[in-house]
Amino acid sequence: MSHAFAVALSRSAAAPLLALRCSRRAMSTARIMRLASASSSSACWQRRSQLLPSTNSTGNLQQYLRSYANEKKVFERTKPHCNVGTIGHVDHGKTTLTAAITKVLADKQLAESKKYNEIDNAPEEKARGITINVAHVEYQTETRHYGHTDCPGHADYIKNMITGTAQMDGAILVVAATDGAMPQTREHMLLAKQIGIDHIVVFINKVDAADQEMVDLVEMEIRELLTEMGYDGDKIPVVKGSALCALEDKNPEIGSEAILKLLQEVDTFIPTPVRELDKPFLLPVENVYSIPGRGTVVTGRLERGVVKKGMECEFVGYNKVLKSTVTGVEMFHQILEEAQAGDQLGALVRGVKRDDIKRGMVMCKPGTVKALDQLEAQVYILSKDEGGRTKPFMSFIQLQMFSRTWDCAVQVQIPDKDMVMPGEDTKLILRLIRPMVLEQGQRFTLRDGNLTLGTGVVTKVMQGLTESQRLELTEGKKAREKKEASKK
Amino acid sequence: MFLQKFGMRRLHTTTKQLMAVAAAGSGGGGLEKSALAALRKKTGYTFANCKKALELNQNDVNAAEKWLNDQAQTMGWIKATKVADRVTTQGLIGILVRRNRGAMIELNCETDFVARNDTFKRFVDHVARICLHYTDMTEFDGDLWKLGFDADALKNLETLEGGTMGDHLALLIGAVGENCSIRRALCFKVNNGLRLAGYAHPAPTNVSTTDDITQVGKYGAIIAYRSEHKLQDVEFNKSICQQIVGMKPKKIGEYDKDKPSENKDEEPCLIHQEYLLDADKTVGEVLYERGIDIVDYHRFECGEQTERHLDEIIKAQEQQSSN
Repeated sequence: MSHAFAVALSRSAAAPLLALRCSRRAMSTARIMRLASASSSSACWQRRSQLLPSTNSTGNLQQYLRSYANEKKVFERTKPHCNVGTIGHVDHGKTTLTAAITKVLADKQLAESKKYNEIDNAPEEKARGITINVAHVEYQTETRHYGHTDCPGHADYIKNMITGTAQMDGAILVVAATDGAMPQTREHMLLAKQIGIDHIVVFINKVDAADQEMVDLVEMEIRELLTEMGYDGDKIPVVKGSALCALEDKNPEIGSEAILKLLQEVDTFIPTPVRELDKPFLLPVENVYSIPGRGTVVTGRLERGVVKKGMECEFVGYNKVLKSTVTGVEMFHQILEEAQAGDQLGALVRGVKRDDIKRGMVMCKPGTVKALDQLEAQVYILSKDEGGRTKPFMSFIQLQMFSRTWDCAVQVQIPDKDMVMPGEDTKLILRLIRPMVLEQGQRFTLRDGNLTLGTGVVTKVMQGLTESQRLELTEGKKAREKKEASKK
Repeated sequence: MFLQKFGMRRLHTTTKQLMAVAAAGSGGGGLEKSALAALRKKTGYTFANCKKALELNQNDVNAAEKWLNDQAQTMGWIKATKVADRVTTQGLIGILVRRNRGAMIELNCETDFVARNDTFKRFVDHVARICLHYTDMTEFDGDLWKLGFDADALKNLETLEGGTMGDHLALLIGAVGENCSIRRALCFKVNNGLRLAGYAHPAPTNVSTTDDITQVGKYGAIIAYRSEHKLQDVEFNKSICQQIVGMKPKKIGEYDKDKPSENKDEEPCLIHQEYLLDADKTVGEVLYERGIDIVDYHRFECGEQTERHLDEIIKAQEQQSSN
């Protein structure tokens, strides 16, 4: 079978684009790869525009191959990675703690020491065109590698969650022993809840300025508040120390030792996120080809899991669920023993016709994903400076939603306010005109005509639309008003 | 030791229980501990201050509480002076409309966590009510009266409970531990058939009335209008305020003077703007249909850079009074 692939490859590589398109044997991993490197993850409009100018020479292909290979260089993973962040009141020493962590670990050659003012004043970063105030620091302990996030405000943490630059797996809540919980500590915990943090470790700071009794009372207070906010207050680890002492190399028992204790708690209490590789496999379909004598081949980048020859699979999307079996996996016209998450591959599947499968469907382990047509999402609406629109919008606006390799028309409902201004983050309920594969945590972009309106993340999967609700999606404003009037 | 700890944990859940057992006597150390816990729970002042209060008052909880309340003002000022040079860019706009009077204020703080907190929201309400109180005291018979306050004027306003607004602000700073400032305020008073409506964004949906309730949000708008109808259409008034919040018109505009701008999205005149709820109509057309005439409006955006229009208001006020 590898031979068949290879022949197709060499032919298409030499043939002009037109011929390639017309050729019945046009399935080729080469073309796939060119597409893949030309197209970004989900934006198909971009793909089209970039595909046309690309010339079809072997030289170019080589180039693509090489850059592709460079891009996908495998990161040497010696330790699992985990993202954490600090939250807390401005004066309670979040930044000092971060500086202290890097210092203590730098002494063990596990991090690069950062000074207070290198971390403070979180710089503006642009992620997906959104400006976020965020400071990222990296360090590692004996067991894990960490990305550490610190943001000045609630809105910044939300934007950070939406863009997914560093989804926080856990948080360190910093409280000063001198002050105890502040009125806004409640808001800090609400935020943690909102951005989906289930694991919090508490650091009681500034114990050098307080006595034992105060520290104990602060601990109780925090545990109580955590319980009230829906966390398991009794089980959450609380570490007491002084970040400043650690930074200034004084009183090691509340300084560096406390920091190490905190890191140990973080190591054990915050679970390592499941690696993409260990999840059931999922491949968003980018293209489908039919090879006479061999069958149907789907291509795309394996988002997660592992695919091997002989595995059962399922195609989901566009109101369809098709069962099949993977009969071959190839990458760069070579047979792959197993394809791993991140690989750009072509998979030969049995018993399905080319016309049955479309770009936008996903190939996955049977039963692992579902197509949805209603969901709740947290969305950031780009401000005008970031390329968004100038006008606010109201409920019932029709937008185009892009995610993975598909796009679909959606109707927007704003659940807890009347309108949304550019530059705001908001909860939205999205109703898709037809069910598409969506999961909690999946990211997407909303566009209106020729501009990007916002970007978001699915926070809750909702029940499917009823027949009458689906009809309502297509009805106009006048019909809606009439209905509203007749109700009154 | 373990038992004692366990006991403390259980006890802490309610102050009453705690007090009861503390009174029952679990040794000297326990008594002190619970006194500190009780004081903190009751007053909400920082642990460090509660501790100090108890030390100064020989562990007498009641005396310590009194001392703390007396000291709160001074401690607030100390904190306020300490954090005075920190920038405040977050915060809330508060809008309070009571029949023919209205007040719109901006209160700033350092992080949006604080702005979301109830303590902060209550203070916005407090400031708005004091501003409105000053409007009430003003005798005025003309159609429309506006008064702008800047940060310094607001600080020196006397409050009903005694002390200036600056004193109250210092208390807030003491409580949330962040720098806060009352940046500006604008009061409206109308007579002779004119009416007021206000809206703060984002607002919760399905609120039946906004009369005498302080609305808070990141943006705010107040309109003064004249209507042919006796009954107020609350929803419609809100939609006009939303229009102003959302589309930032520069002026109301007049049909015989102002021509519609070519770029629809940047139309500076309110009457020529596309109506947000029905893009087929302009705001002018909708207003005409409803028999409503917008006389004046004002828009606040939290943290916006311009100080200019506040000066304009004050200037306009001076002109009005000199006429």
